Amino acid sequence: MRAGTAPSTAYDDLPYTRGGAVNRGDVGALVQSAVDGDAAAWKALVEGLSPLVWSVVRAHRLSDADAHEVYQTVWFRFAQHLGRIREPQKAGAWLASTARHECLKVLKSLRRLTPTDDPQLLDRASEDRTPEQSVIDSEEAAAQSERVRYLWQEFEELGERCRQLLRVLMASPPPSYQEVSAAVGIAVGSIGPLRQRCLRRLRARLDARGAL
Amino acid sequence: MTDDVFPEDSEDDAFSEDALGDGESGAEFDPAAEVDAVFEDGLLAELRQAAGILDPVPAELTRIAVEAFALHDLDARLAELTFDSLVDAIPVRGATDAPRMLTFHSGDVTIDVEVSTQGLMGQVLPPQPASIEVLTGPQSGASLVADDMGRFTSGVTPTGPFALRLRTGGDVVVTEWLRA
Repeated sequence: MRAGTAPSTAYDDLPYTRGGAVNRGDVGALVQSAVDGDAAAWKALVEGLSPLVWSVVRAHRLSDADAHEVYQTVWFRFAQHLGRIREPQKAGAWLASTARHECLKVLKSLRRLTPTDDPQLLDRASEDRTPEQSVIDSEEAAAQSERVRYLWQEFEELGERCRQLLRVLMASPPPSYQEVSAAVGIAVGSIGPLRQRCLRRLRARLDARGAL
Repeated sequence: MTDDVFPEDSEDDAFSEDALGDGESGAEFDPAAEVDAVFEDGLLAELRQAAGILDPVPAELTRIAVEAFALHDLDARLAELTFDSLVDAIPVRGATDAPRMLTFHSGDVTIDVEVSTQGLMGQVLPPQPASIEVLTGPQSGASLVADDMGRFTSGVTPTGPFALRLRTGGDVVVTEWLRA
């Protein structure tokens, strides 16, 4: 977003874009190209923003089936609204906000139908193999695998709001604060301090486990 | 899910700022805070890596999203969702399988839809005949016909994302995608 900004220690004031593979400044141009019929631009949008949408869905603890349906609904609607989005450069925030909205609807309908929650299983095996996973599978990486597992476990056991915020923040490429704000319904200015606080809690949990 | 207070909802309040030794309001230039910030960035990067391993975007979903470009329909008018009983109506006590009532608007055309366990029914207003396609994704969907009164029914209950594509006269209207 602000590519020219010098590295700063005032992390909380910066949109969280360091290390991101997608230049969010391109999003507006990609949306415009997609409106004009450029399928490659659309694909680039999907690849750049799909993890954000997935993170928002996961942050709301939907079941796998609901998560898949919400994810699809969000992208179908985005395709439908493509030429009508008022601020194309904010497509990420549009997607995050739409995803959150749909997640809240699902949660509402679940509450209406059954009193039980459907919490995600923590160590659910993923159906998709990623390059990272292949590394994990090797014996040499067993220790790292262990670390990933308990890091994830401690993350899952954080308070609900912290878990939700961090799940969105860990999308890859890292979302901007504007997108995070749309995804979890917290003011942009509050995200930095809350991010810090939640990470500190996670760190404390890891410390307590003697895992640092 | 109704917790308003952030983030006092967890049991680990014992790990307060004091316990951790760094105030979050952050002194102007605190080397310790800076070390912490670097540490926090590292921790988040590690979480990002863990998410990539343990909870990545399922590949088939990415594929579906790429294919969804076909749903970009320049010819159709968009009928926006203006009423959703799930959000806008107060539930009847004990009525767990009440039908979902939806209303879409596009200009002077209104489409009322009711989704229940029996299927889908609805009406185009003002009353007029229409051919309707029930979309569930980028592929073509089942066809329905609205009679002269604009009424249509289907015995199939949509599950997951769906939209209706209507042809009335020379017009094409598509309802906003939503999850049934």
